[in-house]
Amino acid sequence: MAGRGGGRGRRMMTFSVEAVGITRGDSLPPSIQQPTPLFPVMEQKPLPLTAGEEEEYLLALKQEFRGAMKSLPCFIQPTAAHRDVERYSDKYHSSEQTEALTDWTPDWKRLPKELRVKKPPRGGVSAAVSRSDKLQSGQKKKKVKEKEEVLLKLETLQKKEEGQSSEDEEEEGEEKKKKQEEEEAEGEEEYDEEEFEEETDYVMSYFDNGEEFGGDSDDNMDEAIY
Amino acid sequence: MTAQEVRLCGLLLREHFGEVVEKVGTHLLKGGAQNLRTIIHETGISLDLVKKSLCVLVQHGACVFRSGRKGAGSPTEYQTCCDRILRILRYPRYIYTAKTLYGDTGELIIEELLQRGHMTMSGTIKTVADRLTQNMEEGRSMDYSEVSSAFFRLVETHFLQRCPPLAGAEPKDSATPAAPSFPDCYKVPHVTLVGRGKRQLAITLLFAALLKFQLPLNCPTHGDEGICWQVNFERFHLHFRDQAIISAVANKLDQTSSEIVRTMLRMSEVTTSPTATCTKPLSANEIFRSLPTSYNIPRPILDQYLTLLIDDPMEFVGKAGESGGGMYVVNMHRALANLARATLESVVQERFGSRSARIFRLLLRKRHLEQKQVEDFAMIPAKEAKDMLYTLLSQNLVQLQEIPKTPDYAPSRTFYLYTVNQLPTARMLLQNCYKTVANLVERRLFESKESKRLLEKSQRIEAILASLQASGAEPEQLTEVEEMITAPEKQQLEALRLHINKLDSAENQVDETIFLLESYINSTASTS
Repeated sequence: MAGRGGGRGRRMMTFSVEAVGITRGDSLPPSIQQPTPLFPVMEQKPLPLTAGEEEEYLLALKQEFRGAMKSLPCFIQPTAAHRDVERYSDKYHSSEQTEALTDWTPDWKRLPKELRVKKPPRGGVSAAVSRSDKLQSGQKKKKVKEKEEVLLKLETLQKKEEGQSSEDEEEEGEEKKKKQEEEEAEGEEEYDEEEFEEETDYVMSYFDNGEEFGGDSDDNMDEAIY
Repeated sequence: MTAQEVRLCGLLLREHFGEVVEKVGTHLLKGGAQNLRTIIHETGISLDLVKKSLCVLVQHGACVFRSGRKGAGSPTEYQTCCDRILRILRYPRYIYTAKTLYGDTGELIIEELLQRGHMTMSGTIKTVADRLTQNMEEGRSMDYSEVSSAFFRLVETHFLQRCPPLAGAEPKDSATPAAPSFPDCYKVPHVTLVGRGKRQLAITLLFAALLKFQLPLNCPTHGDEGICWQVNFERFHLHFRDQAIISAVANKLDQTSSEIVRTMLRMSEVTTSPTATCTKPLSANEIFRSLPTSYNIPRPILDQYLTLLIDDPMEFVGKAGESGGGMYVVNMHRALANLARATLESVVQERFGSRSARIFRLLLRKRHLEQKQVEDFAMIPAKEAKDMLYTLLSQNLVQLQEIPKTPDYAPSRTFYLYTVNQLPTARMLLQNCYKTVANLVERRLFESKESKRLLEKSQRIEAILASLQASGAEPEQLTEVEEMITAPEKQQLEALRLHINKLDSAENQVDETIFLLESYINSTASTS
């Protein structure tokens, strides 16, 4: 109480001023009225990074690992936002992404049942997608039918292509197909798309759908621009 | 989970698994154990994507699931722990260690397992053999047996372990993931795997289409289905800890003493448990016999070295008895504490100057000192000492302890002592390190995003160049393509590459400090 009365009009602090060492004559640092600057000035510069063979190798390992992870099926991209108008280049761009996603089969025994992802059926053909299941007879029938369709397609394509060499490949391909045990229902659709995609001569990533193009070819225009 | 840890985990998940997994992961980190419905509802992401993200997280060990707490019928709950995600920072170091110990084969095995989370033994061996075959010359390929033997050696030395068996639906499981040491942890199954690695063949377009059409699923069974292997991080951490102690001894004393300590650690590798305070006592005779043959120092010299090591204030080696010519132990926990202390001191020195560091070391040694005593012992003029103490106090590296003389805590009748507590300060610095790494990652992402167009252009041009070279074009065509990037753009690209390399390298080196501080904090947690 007495202290409070005596302290009126003078600066008071919660701790003893003398004990901590602030004498009467000292000027305290000015009180701060705004947040500290975003990049405060450093009195001491930090040490340079250690550079050596080991550090460079670790750096290379780190960057390669990051790059490799981006191409693995674990890297999940959100479905790209639909643009206002369907573009011609979408057909080429979208198939690149979805391939990686479908390649990965985790060991379903180690995961809870509710996490199984079932593919939506396409083209009216409903097929169970759990790949680690044993085949059922119904699937086998569908498979045989699709194999025949694919074979037919192959033959028609081959008539357009070169002669001898592709026939050899087709034989090998037939053998390979006979060995396989499972396939996807929509493999046929994908096959079309992929085969068509492979036929083009252009580098996929080089395709520019022309949206950024424009406005820089005014030099040789003979006609006026309206 | 502190805010800094969650932020860093989010960034790491984004870089390695994509933004969807980042959202799901950070939501789980912040919210604790949740079931699928809650996650979908609160993150607003579609069901399929959430399921896939959870699969990815469980595959990589970042998330554990168990049946709900409310009884037998409740939905499974998922829980994430940030420790496992923070290990991603240390992956390059694990891979490099495997390379130094087991060569390229070991390096690739560890890299594959880190990329995939966990895999069966046969799957790993096949993939690694294929990768090694890619890099070999034409006509040669890597045999599976070589890769298998490298795998066996990794399991023998416990660098790899089996994934723990699923906990099943037992509701009495604790929240922590299953302990790694179950009976069959390091038992290698009998696997029939004969063959050689396959080289990827150059195939024509039609054939490529056919191959894509068939899914590569008909792997013949090898007898080890369901047995997955994962990298044993704890073992790598023990190895790093040993290396840190050995290099500290080498820096402080000399090469021979570090060899002696290395021998002692090697001898007690199998007999010491990971959380032990010190190794089992080793007699001087045993150490003498086990020294590497290149170091044939006579017995009395060895005794002198051991005496030196004991007397050193860092207390790496201690004496535990007199039998057998003297029984010696390596003090793990004390070594870690001293290494952490050295880290703290160097941080203060680099941030505030050598005189502030002197005050800090003084306070560490003398525990509690008054203002006047600090000035006297540190031999620094009063005004500057005051300034430095206040700076350290404002940064929370130094604390003020009040000791009242009277029960009413009157300021004029209280002692105010400055003190440094090593453990809380280490924790605080660890959080600073996490914040540092998060800032580095963000800056790197920002730099890449700024120059995204330029990077894409350069990638496209490299792709064109590669395809031209593969199809055998003339030099004029190549130079023409190269000139598509202008000189200032090249400079910009160079500067960008330099920045990104620096930021990446900085992340690696901050992670070394993180490892030291984490080991120290964990060692105190186990003893207390």
